[in-house]
Amino acid sequence: MITVLTAGFGAIWGAILRYGITNYGKKHWSEKFPYATLLINLTGAFLLGFIFSRKFSPFIYALIGTGVLGGYTTFSTLNVELLSHWRDRNYSVFTPYALLSYGGGLILIFLGYKIGTLI
Amino acid sequence: MNRRLKNYLSVGIFAFFGGGLRAYLNLIWSQIGTLTANIIGCFLLAFFTYFFVEYREGRDWLVTGLSTGFVGSFTTFSSFNLDTLKQLESGMNSQATIYFFSSIFIGFLFAYLGMLVGKRTGRKLA
Repeated sequence: MITVLTAGFGAIWGAILRYGITNYGKKHWSEKFPYATLLINLTGAFLLGFIFSRKFSPFIYALIGTGVLGGYTTFSTLNVELLSHWRDRNYSVFTPYALLSYGGGLILIFLGYKIGTLI
Repeated sequence: MNRRLKNYLSVGIFAFFGGGLRAYLNLIWSQIGTLTANIIGCFLLAFFTYFFVEYREGRDWLVTGLSTGFVGSFTTFSSFNLDTLKQLESGMNSQATIYFFSSIFIGFLFAYLGMLVGKRTGRKLA
């Protein structure tokens, strides 16, 4: 129960940060490509790999890992954005966005994990 | 209250429940819990997105809170990657491959279904 509440508390701050970056991106970045979600998901994956490798206490992991980073990154927004580009037959965005998100996420979580185990 | 502040507050409060619910699913079902949250979340976000395209009477703070706050935090990209990494690190390569690609394809499929249901429901109620 404490894990659930702790993760929920962490998710508040992760989601607010995600919302802030997305709003900033809508104003200042190109609307053609979902840079904001890509940046959020890739940085979040890197950080979670790092946090996981440092073997923190379950409480810290629930707060920062499951909570803040879990709430910061998002799987649903990625898919709804992919769906929208796919429906518009906008494959010049759909394909790189899918590859960069899924390939990049895996590479970056490994990178975060390796860096965390080395230092 | 300032509209922007209201939206941020709404995102935060809804995120508490979305993140908490995901943590609960993860607690009882482990990686299948995260997978379940991601798949249901894809359906829900597409549903809300396309529902509110048709049904324009939704309040801004409520729509933002439900979609960006609740569903955004209910799903997670980082834990999805971590679960794949954990499986690869423990040598379960085929399991990792299945987990990775089924998340991707089922997630997309459920987003598509959510869109269909959302549009239809929105049109009916609008």
